[in-house]
Amino acid sequence: MIGSVTVNIQTRVKQESFMTQHQENLSAFVDGEHQGDDSALVDALKQDVELQDKWRRYHTIRDGLRGELPADMSVDIANSIAAAIADEPAIVAPKRRLRDLPVVGSVIPLVKQSGQFLVAASVAAVAILGVQNYNTTPEVNEPLMTAPPIAGRPQGGLAPVSLEQTRPVDRTDMATLLEQRRQINALIADHERQLQLKQAQMQDSTVQEQSAEQEQQPE
Amino acid sequence: MPHFPSRIRAAATLMLAAVLFSPVGFSQEPEEQIEPTDSVTTEKLSGAQWLLKMSQAIGQHNYQISLVEQRPGADTVPYLWRHGVFENGVSMEQLSMLNGPGKEFIRVNRQVSVFEPNVAPFSLTGRIIDGPFPTDLLLNPLDLQSAYTFIAIGRGRVSGRAAQQIRIVSRDNSRYAYQLWVDEEKGMPLKMNMLDQTGQLMKQIQVTQLTTSGEPHEFFSRINHEALPAITAVPLSYHQHNWQISYLPVGMSEVKRNTHRLSVTDQVVEYAMLSDGMVEVSVYVMPISASGPQNNVYRHESKTLLNRTEGNIQISVIGEIPPQTANKIATSLVSRVE
Repeated sequence: MIGSVTVNIQTRVKQESFMTQHQENLSAFVDGEHQGDDSALVDALKQDVELQDKWRRYHTIRDGLRGELPADMSVDIANSIAAAIADEPAIVAPKRRLRDLPVVGSVIPLVKQSGQFLVAASVAAVAILGVQNYNTTPEVNEPLMTAPPIAGRPQGGLAPVSLEQTRPVDRTDMATLLEQRRQINALIADHERQLQLKQAQMQDSTVQEQSAEQEQQPE
Repeated sequence: MPHFPSRIRAAATLMLAAVLFSPVGFSQEPEEQIEPTDSVTTEKLSGAQWLLKMSQAIGQHNYQISLVEQRPGADTVPYLWRHGVFENGVSMEQLSMLNGPGKEFIRVNRQVSVFEPNVAPFSLTGRIIDGPFPTDLLLNPLDLQSAYTFIAIGRGRVSGRAAQQIRIVSRDNSRYAYQLWVDEEKGMPLKMNMLDQTGQLMKQIQVTQLTTSGEPHEFFSRINHEALPAITAVPLSYHQHNWQISYLPVGMSEVKRNTHRLSVTDQVVEYAMLSDGMVEVSVYVMPISASGPQNNVYRHESKTLLNRTEGNIQISVIGEIPPQTANKIATSLVSRVE
């Protein structure tokens, strides 16, 4: 019994060291520094899904280290959004009239055509300009506060501050802030993407005319 | 300025943190260095005439321009911009981002091809490459007159050249204002500032080098027209929503409306885009997020992002517009009535 466990462990150690060796070779290979026979490694790479995955990651990491990552890493995002959104209910509740119902049938996931227009979820530095208090009594004519001008390059009143640095936060607050920040990033990235799509759509009169015949038109 | 519901309370402590960042770089605008000694008189053109002259120059000349774009809190982005008109009537344009992994646009007549790392090259159609300058300003400046007025300010010196300054101000003062300097002789744009209501710089485009030539740049002769990717057709989709925007700044109109997912969070949003030719504004309507109601105004580089919660619906407005205008748009959303 004890013997077989030992054997198992030995086998695993053997496998792991085999794996590690491949990984080290792979890392060197990606950096163009692999000594010796490449073909064995390439063969291993072709057969081993895990190794292939590592190969892709190593390349990404290397690009990242070199600061060569593109602004939009659209690699896998496309798949995650390509899901149809036709079943989504309208966000603002429809009025009780048939013609008010949302035209859900024609919802087309934008990325279905191509992932080319995706803009990255790069972390956006945002500065809080102010907090709206819609639930309190509005204070009459209180101006929107902006920071005093700073001499120098374009300021827009504020340099970016991270949300975390500005005030102490407890744990639940932190989670909320992170979630809010994620949403802000999502909105900014989407705005950028819509601007790119605008050029694709608005400047193309021919495509527009063709599709206009097929698409739902405003009433 | 119409009354602005000042339900916006500022978070003063956050402002203080921001003041600590005081980067060096551009010294404060040494504007209007008018040279009285230079007695060369050009005919007195109005602001609109200067812009018309600029749009003609951009479409007709062979040029190579180096320029940089600066936004608050962001790295300076350097560009190379070339344009060539050939004898057979073909016009070609190149815009290249010079820092980082790069991104390159090449236009042959009305086909704009985009080359960037990790993305298969693709083509769109367009009369001009969508670069740092607003395309409508370069192509149809007179169309902007429903939203903006153009005021010729006078002469100045930019990038070592005699320039004419034109102020571009929105008719209802609800958007940022612009200062544009146009090369007096060549008609090319030399510099553009975007300013907020207090005159602070929100964005700056500065030409650092301008070369015009009789012949198109030899770069264009190396482009293999057959090798450019085919045009990607993006179908235009329109979705009717149960809300509408009852306040639009003068000259701004709704140019797009659809329902889509945010690529980062997979959140489904109802979306409308507003445009006046100089700036685009995105309006999002979505269910209130898990993190609770948000009623904040943020600034990201030159963009304003305003979140407003109404019941269990969140309204977000993003664009290069003042927070006050974003707030007016957000508060003007009403249920669609017929």
